[in-house]
Amino acid sequence: MMNKKLLIYTLTALLSSLFIFGCSRALVENELRFGIEAAQKDLWDEAIFRWQKAALAQPQSASVHNNLAVAYEKKGLWEKAKKEYELALKLDPDNAYIQSNYQNFKRNYELTKENSTNEKK
Amino acid sequence: MKKNKFALLIALLVLVSCSSPLHWKLKIEMPRRTAIDLAQFQEIIITNFWVKKQTKDINLSQELIDYFKFSLEKNFKGKIVSKEISFNHDDIFSNQDFWKNLAHSSPRALYFTGVASYGQEIRKAILEERRSDRFESPFKAEKKLAERKFYTLNLDLYLIDSTTGDVIYKREFKESKGYRNPNQTAYFAFFDLIQRVKDKLFRIILGGEKIEERYLISD
Repeated sequence: MMNKKLLIYTLTALLSSLFIFGCSRALVENELRFGIEAAQKDLWDEAIFRWQKAALAQPQSASVHNNLAVAYEKKGLWEKAKKEYELALKLDPDNAYIQSNYQNFKRNYELTKENSTNEKK
Repeated sequence: MKKNKFALLIALLVLVSCSSPLHWKLKIEMPRRTAIDLAQFQEIIITNFWVKKQTKDINLSQELIDYFKFSLEKNFKGKIVSKEISFNHDDIFSNQDFWKNLAHSSPRALYFTGVASYGQEIRKAILEERRSDRFESPFKAEKKLAERKFYTLNLDLYLIDSTTGDVIYKREFKESKGYRNPNQTAYFAFFDLIQRVKDKLFRIILGGEKIEERYLISD
């Protein structure tokens, strides 16, 4: 009898945590997808708004930080983009898509740095 | 039966949670990063250029001023003026006080200045003239003495902030081009070479956009 009760409690707890995790995940997933749709329509401010919301709900999501980085790059916010790419790579270092984005971003970022000679004396 | 359904539900939930990420490949017009922000300057002052060498057919400093003035006017909202200065020592470009004092009453301005030289030379070479036949010719390829007229433009460009006197951007350009036509004029060749300088320089100071591929991902 006792064992059966314990089993029911455990299963309820497990299901609840899965449900909560699933809900927060679904929320982030919705914001992510909405942001992607906005970006595809060239509405980058809307995309940034969605992905910032997603980043608040799930700061450990590499996808959110990657997408934010792309949007910041598009808006010419280079330092913010760099920070987000680095964070995304830290969270998911083996992700080939993030690596590819970061390599392309770095080429543009560093090329201009090399060309710009600040001769402050 | 009930237990099986329950296990199936849990398995499904775990599967959905751990599914692999999706990606979208987008072609985006990415802005190019610029070395300087031109928008923070109200005026561009193009000075005469310190000419170290030039051909007799061309007034190099004046041509550079006119060319940059004309090209920048299309891309800069503020005022563009030219100013005559005298270059008396090599380290003038790093002399902050000189540049600060030069524009004491002006709004924040960007000096466009530098050192230029423009020369020409005839280069000779023995070239083998091969026929473009389909089959290998049994005869030897003809050797001819060929001459090319080469023009070289050297430009050390300095962009200086009038408020601090600092050099905020410096670049050395060395552009060279050979012409088969021995009568090619220095004036004509100059515009070929300055166009190359302009393409490189404006990409850096004005930016522009470039289509690039990026991946957007979803968990």
